Amino acid sequence: MMTNRILDHPVLGKLENQKTVTFTFDGVPYKGFEGDTIASALLANGIRQLRVHEETGAPRAIYCNIGHCFECRVTVNQAQGVRACMTSVEENMTVESGKLQAAPFESAPEEWPRTYAEFEQKNKGKKVGVPHV
Amino acid sequence: MDQTIICRCEEVSLQDIQNTAITYNCSAREVKLRTRAGMGYCGGRTCRPAVDAVLEAVTGEKAGHDIPMKVQPPVRPVSLAILGGKMR
Repeated sequence: MMTNRILDHPVLGKLENQKTVTFTFDGVPYKGFEGDTIASALLANGIRQLRVHEETGAPRAIYCNIGHCFECRVTVNQAQGVRACMTSVEENMTVESGKLQAAPFESAPEEWPRTYAEFEQKNKGKKVGVPHV
Repeated sequence: MDQTIICRCEEVSLQDIQNTAITYNCSAREVKLRTRAGMGYCGGRTCRPAVDAVLEAVTGEKAGHDIPMKVQPPVRPVSLAILGGKMR
């Protein structure tokens, strides 16, 4: 627990008397310090990947860390699009990572089905998630 | 190097932008519309200068003093809940 923290900083001094906050990330409970952002609390717990790209599934984490790029957005207490780098972690907070989403229109236009029957045939047992039709 | 991601929101690589700019010999704004670079969640606030720089290298188009690639408000993505008075 909390292995990645600088506990004794040459300039800022020792990190002492921090209040502990418990929260969950994807259902797993973690401990952070009061005043941590969600991103810093997770980083201290060794969690770097906060979401995956919705379409490609490529991993995403802190990028700008100043609330500019929205790369670290997570779902907090059912609210989507919350920036992990700008939001203070709170007791019993439920944080969910961003997941891969169905991409029903990813093919080239020439490959698009012309009828619903063709669509069903093409996507038989292939897509995850709810069909967008 | 060419696989370097320029637009992280829409996952557009340097290669994609270079190819589009060379194929269509187009403006930065047209590259945006063709590749979706700068049209993602962050509204292009992260990659716009990079797209402009690539275009300057490929087609010689210099970024003007205006905000590049016809950006439109809001300055940051804002949820309707916040506009409605909620904290988050």
